[in-house]
Amino acid sequence: MSGNGSKLLAKALSRLKRSIWVFHLNTGSCNGCDIEVLDALTPYFDVERFGIKLVGSPRHADVFLMTGPVTRETLPKVLRAIESMPRPRLILALGSCACGGGIWWDTYSTIGGYGRLKEILEERGVVVDRVAYVPGCPVRPEAIIYGVLVLLGAVEQKVRHEEVKAGG
Amino acid sequence: MKLLSIAARAKVVTRRYPFEPPVVTEGFRGKIEVDPKLCWGCGVCTRICPPNALTLKQREDGTLVLSYFMGRCIFCGMCAEVCPRGAITVTKEFELASLTMEDLTRDVKHDVVRCRICGRVIGPAVEIKEATKSVGGEEAKYYDLCPECRKLVVARGIMTKVGVRP
Repeated sequence: MSGNGSKLLAKALSRLKRSIWVFHLNTGSCNGCDIEVLDALTPYFDVERFGIKLVGSPRHADVFLMTGPVTRETLPKVLRAIESMPRPRLILALGSCACGGGIWWDTYSTIGGYGRLKEILEERGVVVDRVAYVPGCPVRPEAIIYGVLVLLGAVEQKVRHEEVKAGG
Repeated sequence: MKLLSIAARAKVVTRRYPFEPPVVTEGFRGKIEVDPKLCWGCGVCTRICPPNALTLKQREDGTLVLSYFMGRCIFCGMCAEVCPRGAITVTKEFELASLTMEDLTRDVKHDVVRCRICGRVIGPAVEIKEATKSVGGEEAKYYDLCPECRKLVVARGIMTKVGVRP
Protein backbone atom coordinates (compact mmCIF):
# COMPACT_ATOMS: atom_id res chain seq x y z
CA MET A 1 0.00 0.00 0.00
CA SER A 2 1.23 3.51 -0.76
CA GLY A 3 2.01 6.03 1.98
CA ASN A 4 -0.95 8.14 1.07
CA GLY A 5 -3.24 5.16 1.40
CA SER A 6 -2.07 4.30 4.89
CA LYS A 7 -2.48 7.93 5.93
CA LEU A 8 -6.04 7.89 4.69
CA LEU A 9 -6.60 4.64 6.51
CA ALA A 10 -5.25 6.03 9.78
CA LYS A 11 -7.56 9.00 9.34
CA ALA A 12 -10.49 6.69 8.72
CA LEU A 13 -9.66 4.64 11.82
CA SER A 14 -9.32 7.75 13.97
CA ARG A 15 -12.74 8.95 12.80
CA LEU A 16 -14.25 5.58 13.68
CA LYS A 17 -14.99 6.23 17.34
CA ARG A 18 -18.75 6.06 17.58
CA SER A 19 -21.80 4.97 15.64
CA ILE A 20 -20.18 1.88 14.24
CA TRP A 21 -22.29 -0.42 12.15
CA VAL A 22 -21.92 -4.08 12.82
CA PHE A 23 -22.56 -7.03 10.57
CA HIS A 24 -23.19 -10.12 12.64
CA LEU A 25 -22.55 -13.52 11.13
CA ASN A 26 -22.97 -16.82 12.91
CA THR A 27 -19.93 -18.77 11.77
CA GLY A 28 -21.07 -22.07 13.20
CA SER A 29 -21.60 -21.23 16.85
CA CYS A 30 -24.00 -22.93 19.24
CA ASN A 31 -26.18 -19.76 19.42
CA GLY A 32 -25.02 -18.97 22.95
CA CYS A 33 -23.00 -15.96 21.85
CA ASP A 34 -25.72 -14.91 19.38
CA ILE A 35 -28.20 -14.69 22.22
CA GLU A 36 -25.73 -12.59 24.20
CA VAL A 37 -25.41 -10.28 21.19
CA LEU A 38 -29.18 -9.99 21.22
CA ASP A 39 -28.99 -9.31 24.95
CA ALA A 40 -26.58 -6.45 24.33
CA LEU A 41 -29.18 -4.89 22.04
CA THR A 42 -32.02 -5.09 24.59
CA PRO A 43 -32.91 -2.09 26.79
CA TYR A 44 -30.78 -3.51 29.63
CA PHE A 45 -27.48 -2.94 27.90
CA ASP A 46 -28.75 -0.98 24.91
CA VAL A 47 -25.68 -0.63 22.71
CA GLU A 48 -27.64 1.69 20.48
CA ARG A 49 -26.96 4.44 23.02
CA PHE A 50 -23.40 4.34 21.61
CA GLY A 51 -24.74 4.33 18.08
CA ILE A 52 -23.79 0.70 17.53
CA LYS A 53 -26.33 -1.04 15.38
CA LEU A 54 -26.63 -4.25 13.46
CA VAL A 55 -26.88 -3.99 9.71
CA GLY A 56 -28.08 -6.57 7.26
CA SER A 57 -25.30 -6.34 4.71
CA PRO A 58 -21.51 -6.54 5.05
CA ARG A 59 -21.26 -3.74 2.47
CA HIS A 60 -22.69 -1.30 5.02
CA ALA A 61 -20.66 -2.53 7.96
CA ASP A 62 -17.60 -1.21 9.78
CA VAL A 63 -17.21 -4.21 12.05
CA PHE A 64 -17.57 -7.86 11.19
CA LEU A 65 -18.85 -9.72 14.23
CA MET A 66 -18.16 -13.44 14.14
CA THR A 67 -19.40 -15.98 16.65
CA GLY A 68 -18.29 -19.55 16.29
CA PRO A 69 -15.27 -21.61 15.34
CA VAL A 70 -15.86 -21.26 11.55
CA THR A 71 -17.12 -24.60 10.34
CA ARG A 72 -16.12 -25.93 6.93
CA GLU A 73 -19.65 -25.26 5.75
CA THR A 74 -19.60 -21.58 6.68
CA LEU A 75 -16.02 -20.84 5.60
CA PRO A 76 -16.83 -19.79 1.99
CA LYS A 77 -19.64 -17.56 3.22
CA VAL A 78 -17.41 -15.97 5.85
CA LEU A 79 -14.74 -15.25 3.25
CA ARG A 80 -17.31 -13.77 0.89
CA ALA A 81 -18.72 -11.54 3.61
CA ILE A 82 -15.29 -10.33 4.75
CA GLU A 83 -14.16 -9.69 1.17
CA SER A 84 -17.24 -7.62 0.41
CA MET A 85 -16.68 -5.34 3.41
CA PRO A 86 -15.25 -1.90 2.69
CA ARG A 87 -11.96 -0.78 4.26
CA PRO A 88 -11.21 -0.17 7.11
CA ARG A 89 -12.12 -3.72 7.92
CA LEU A 90 -12.50 -4.45 11.62
CA ILE A 91 -13.24 -7.88 13.02
CA LEU A 92 -14.60 -8.72 16.44
CA ALA A 93 -14.03 -12.40 17.23
CA LEU A 94 -16.67 -13.09 19.83
CA GLY A 95 -16.54 -15.98 22.24
CA SER A 96 -13.94 -18.63 22.93
CA CYS A 97 -14.86 -20.49 19.73
CA ALA A 98 -14.13 -17.55 17.46
CA CYS A 99 -10.90 -16.71 19.31
CA GLY A 100 -9.12 -20.04 19.59
CA GLY A 101 -11.63 -22.64 18.49
CA GLY A 102 -13.03 -23.23 21.97
CA ILE A 103 -14.16 -26.75 22.67
CA TRP A 104 -14.09 -27.43 18.90
CA TRP A 105 -10.46 -26.45 18.45
CA ASP A 106 -9.34 -29.70 16.82
CA THR A 107 -12.49 -31.26 15.40
CA TYR A 108 -12.58 -32.30 11.76
CA SER A 109 -15.47 -30.05 10.77
CA THR A 110 -14.16 -26.69 11.99
CA ILE A 111 -11.05 -24.76 11.08
CA GLY A 112 -10.54 -23.79 14.72
CA GLY A 113 -11.24 -20.11 15.17
CA TYR A 114 -9.73 -16.92 13.92
CA GLY A 115 -6.12 -18.12 14.09
CA ARG A 116 -6.57 -20.35 11.05
CA LEU A 117 -8.98 -17.95 9.35
CA LYS A 118 -6.28 -15.29 9.53
CA GLU A 119 -3.90 -17.54 7.59
CA ILE A 120 -6.55 -18.22 4.95
CA LEU A 121 -7.28 -14.50 4.60
CA GLU A 122 -3.57 -13.76 4.23
CA GLU A 123 -3.28 -16.43 1.53
CA ARG A 124 -6.11 -14.79 -0.38
CA GLY A 125 -4.64 -11.33 0.08
CA VAL A 126 -7.49 -9.94 2.12
CA VAL A 127 -6.34 -7.19 4.47
CA VAL A 128 -7.91 -6.94 7.91
CA ASP A 129 -7.11 -3.70 9.66
CA ARG A 130 -7.77 -4.60 13.27
CA VAL A 131 -9.01 -7.59 15.21
CA ALA A 132 -10.23 -7.82 18.79
CA TYR A 133 -10.59 -11.13 20.55
CA VAL A 134 -13.28 -11.39 23.20
CA PRO A 135 -13.05 -14.68 25.14
CA GLY A 136 -16.01 -15.99 27.09
CA CYS A 137 -18.28 -18.98 26.87
CA PRO A 138 -20.66 -17.38 26.22
CA VAL A 139 -19.45 -13.80 26.42
CA ARG A 140 -21.28 -11.50 28.79
CA PRO A 141 -23.04 -8.52 27.19
CA GLU A 142 -20.73 -6.28 29.23
CA ALA A 143 -17.75 -8.12 27.76
CA ILE A 144 -19.09 -7.46 24.25
CA ILE A 145 -19.34 -3.73 24.99
CA TYR A 146 -15.84 -3.82 26.48
CA GLY A 147 -14.57 -5.67 23.40
CA VAL A 148 -15.96 -3.03 21.07
CA LEU A 149 -14.32 -0.32 23.18
CA VAL A 150 -10.97 -2.16 22.96
CA LEU A 151 -11.42 -2.59 19.21
CA LEU A 152 -12.00 1.13 18.72
CA GLY A 153 -9.15 2.04 21.04
CA ALA A 154 -11.40 3.82 23.54
CA VAL A 155 -10.04 1.87 26.51
CA GLU A 156 -6.74 0.17 27.22
CA GLN A 157 -6.88 -3.63 27.23
CA LYS A 158 -6.48 -5.22 30.65
CA VAL A 159 -4.89 -8.57 29.83
CA ARG A 160 -1.21 -8.80 28.94
CA HIS A 161 1.04 -11.71 28.20
CA GLU A 162 2.72 -12.84 31.40
CA GLU A 163 5.40 -15.37 32.12
CA VAL A 164 6.08 -16.19 35.74
CA LYS A 165 8.44 -18.62 37.38
CA ALA A 166 7.03 -21.31 39.63
CA GLY A 167 8.20 -22.23 43.10
CA GLY A 168 8.07 -20.38 46.40
CA MET B 1 -50.52 5.95 25.00
CA LYS B 2 -50.59 2.49 26.51
CA LEU B 3 -46.90 2.10 25.80
CA LEU B 4 -46.14 5.39 27.52
CA SER B 5 -47.86 4.29 30.70
CA ILE B 6 -45.89 1.03 30.71
CA ALA B 7 -42.66 2.96 30.15
CA ALA B 8 -43.53 5.34 32.98
CA ARG B 9 -44.07 2.40 35.31
CA ALA B 10 -40.88 0.55 34.32
CA LYS B 11 -38.69 3.70 34.47
CA VAL B 12 -35.17 3.48 33.07
CA VAL B 13 -33.83 -0.09 33.07
CA THR B 14 -30.67 0.47 31.05
CA ARG B 15 -27.45 -0.18 32.97
CA ARG B 16 -24.76 2.44 32.61
CA TYR B 17 -22.19 -0.33 32.21
CA PRO B 18 -18.93 1.18 30.95
CA PHE B 19 -19.36 4.00 33.46
CA GLU B 20 -20.35 1.90 36.45
CA PRO B 21 -19.14 -1.46 37.80
CA PRO B 22 -20.88 -4.49 36.28
CA VAL B 23 -23.29 -6.68 38.19
CA VAL B 24 -21.51 -9.99 38.73
CA THR B 25 -23.41 -12.77 40.42
CA GLU B 26 -22.12 -15.07 43.16
CA GLY B 27 -21.61 -18.10 40.96
CA PHE B 28 -20.05 -16.37 37.98
CA ARG B 29 -16.85 -17.93 36.67
CA GLY B 30 -14.36 -15.75 34.90
CA LYS B 31 -10.76 -16.41 33.94
CA ILE B 32 -8.61 -18.64 36.11
CA GLU B 33 -5.54 -17.58 38.02
CA VAL B 34 -2.63 -20.00 38.56
CA ASP B 35 -0.66 -19.27 41.72
CA PRO B 36 3.00 -19.85 40.76
CA LYS B 37 3.98 -20.24 44.42
CA LEU B 38 1.68 -23.24 44.88
CA CYS B 39 1.79 -24.86 41.42
CA TRP B 40 3.83 -28.07 41.23
CA GLY B 41 3.54 -28.58 37.51
CA CYS B 42 1.95 -32.02 37.89
CA GLY B 43 -0.33 -31.42 34.91
CA VAL B 44 -3.61 -32.74 36.34
CA CYS B 45 -5.39 -29.59 35.16
CA THR B 46 -4.17 -30.13 31.59
CA ARG B 47 -5.71 -33.61 31.58
CA ILE B 48 -9.12 -32.50 32.83
CA CYS B 49 -9.31 -29.33 30.68
CA PRO B 50 -12.00 -30.04 28.02
CA PRO B 51 -10.72 -27.68 25.29
CA ASN B 52 -6.99 -28.02 26.14
CA ALA B 53 -6.73 -24.40 27.16
CA LEU B 54 -4.19 -25.47 29.76
CA THR B 55 -1.17 -27.20 28.29
CA LEU B 56 2.06 -28.45 29.78
CA LYS B 57 4.86 -28.29 27.25
CA GLN B 58 8.57 -28.75 27.37
CA ARG B 59 10.69 -26.04 25.83
CA GLU B 60 13.98 -26.60 24.09
CA ASP B 61 15.94 -25.37 27.10
CA GLY B 62 14.32 -28.10 29.19
CA THR B 63 11.91 -26.00 31.24
CA LEU B 64 8.33 -27.15 31.54
CA VAL B 65 5.75 -24.47 30.82
CA LEU B 66 2.17 -24.59 32.05
CA SER B 67 0.47 -22.34 29.55
CA TYR B 68 -3.04 -20.97 29.95
CA PHE B 69 -4.68 -19.74 26.75
CA MET B 70 -7.89 -17.97 27.70
CA GLY B 71 -8.92 -17.59 24.08
CA ARG B 72 -9.89 -21.24 24.21
CA CYS B 73 -10.98 -21.54 27.85
CA ILE B 74 -14.66 -22.32 28.35
CA PHE B 75 -14.59 -21.21 31.99
CA CYS B 76 -15.90 -24.47 33.41
CA GLY B 77 -13.70 -24.35 36.52
CA MET B 78 -12.82 -28.06 36.40
CA CYS B 79 -9.09 -27.27 36.73
CA ALA B 80 -9.70 -25.48 40.03
CA GLU B 81 -11.66 -28.48 41.24
CA VAL B 82 -9.01 -31.09 40.47
CA CYS B 83 -5.86 -29.14 41.35
CA PRO B 84 -4.29 -31.14 44.24
CA ARG B 85 -2.49 -28.05 45.53
CA GLY B 86 -5.39 -25.61 45.22
CA ALA B 87 -3.16 -23.41 43.09
CA ILE B 88 -5.89 -22.54 40.60
CA THR B 89 -8.60 -20.09 41.57
CA VAL B 90 -11.54 -18.96 39.48
CA THR B 91 -11.78 -15.18 39.45
CA LYS B 92 -14.70 -13.00 38.45
CA GLU B 93 -12.66 -11.19 35.80
CA PHE B 94 -14.38 -11.17 32.40
CA GLU B 95 -13.05 -8.06 30.64
CA LEU B 96 -10.53 -10.08 28.67
CA ALA B 97 -10.78 -8.49 25.23
CA SER B 98 -7.42 -8.00 23.57
CA LEU B 99 -6.01 -7.06 20.20
CA THR B 100 -3.49 -9.89 19.91
CA MET B 101 -3.62 -13.62 20.51
CA GLU B 102 -0.37 -13.51 22.57
CA ASP B 103 -1.92 -11.31 25.22
CA LEU B 104 -4.43 -14.04 25.95
CA THR B 105 -1.79 -16.50 27.16
CA ARG B 106 -0.25 -16.79 30.59
CA ASP B 107 2.74 -19.02 31.25
CA VAL B 108 4.09 -20.55 34.45
CA LYS B 109 7.64 -21.77 34.02
CA HIS B 110 8.92 -24.80 35.90
CA ASP B 111 12.51 -25.92 36.33
CA VAL B 112 13.09 -29.61 35.72
CA VAL B 113 15.13 -32.30 37.41
CA ARG B 114 17.36 -34.36 35.13
CA CYS B 115 18.52 -37.90 35.79
CA ARG B 116 22.04 -37.76 37.25
CA ILE B 117 23.17 -40.74 35.17
CA CYS B 118 21.51 -40.54 31.75
CA GLY B 119 20.48 -36.86 31.79
CA ARG B 120 16.87 -37.49 30.86
CA VAL B 121 14.20 -35.09 32.18
CA ILE B 122 12.28 -36.72 35.04
CA GLY B 123 9.83 -34.03 36.05
CA PRO B 124 9.26 -30.57 37.48
CA ALA B 125 11.71 -29.67 40.24
CA VAL B 126 9.18 -28.47 42.80
CA GLU B 127 7.07 -31.61 42.53
CA ILE B 128 10.03 -33.94 42.90
CA LYS B 129 11.44 -31.98 45.84
CA GLU B 130 8.13 -32.12 47.69
CA ALA B 131 7.62 -35.79 46.86
CA THR B 132 11.11 -36.63 48.17
CA LYS B 133 10.30 -34.80 51.39
CA SER B 134 7.16 -36.84 51.92
CA VAL B 135 8.89 -40.16 51.17
CA GLY B 136 12.08 -39.59 53.17
CA GLY B 137 14.51 -42.24 54.40
CA GLU B 138 16.36 -44.68 52.14
CA GLU B 139 14.26 -44.09 49.00
CA ALA B 140 14.86 -40.37 49.02
CA LYS B 141 18.40 -40.72 47.72
CA TYR B 142 17.11 -42.03 44.40
CA TYR B 143 15.10 -38.88 43.71
CA ASP B 144 17.29 -37.62 40.89
CA LEU B 145 17.24 -40.88 38.92
CA CYS B 146 14.91 -41.75 36.09
CA PRO B 147 12.89 -45.00 36.52
CA GLU B 148 15.25 -46.97 34.26
CA CYS B 149 18.43 -45.88 35.97
CA ARG B 150 16.81 -46.39 39.37
CA LYS B 151 16.08 -50.00 38.53
CA LEU B 152 19.70 -50.52 37.46
CA VAL B 153 21.14 -48.87 40.55
CA VAL B 154 18.89 -50.83 42.91
CA ALA B 155 19.61 -54.11 41.12
CA ARG B 156 23.34 -53.46 41.27
CA GLY B 157 23.08 -52.70 44.99
CA ILE B 158 21.27 -55.98 45.70
CA MET B 159 23.75 -57.96 43.60
CA THR B 160 26.78 -56.58 45.44
CA LYS B 161 25.07 -57.31 48.77
CA VAL B 162 24.37 -60.91 47.79
CA GLY B 163 27.87 -61.28 46.42
CA VAL B 164 27.17 -61.76 42.74
CA ARG B 165 29.33 -59.71 40.40
CA PRO B 166 27.22 -57.33 38.35
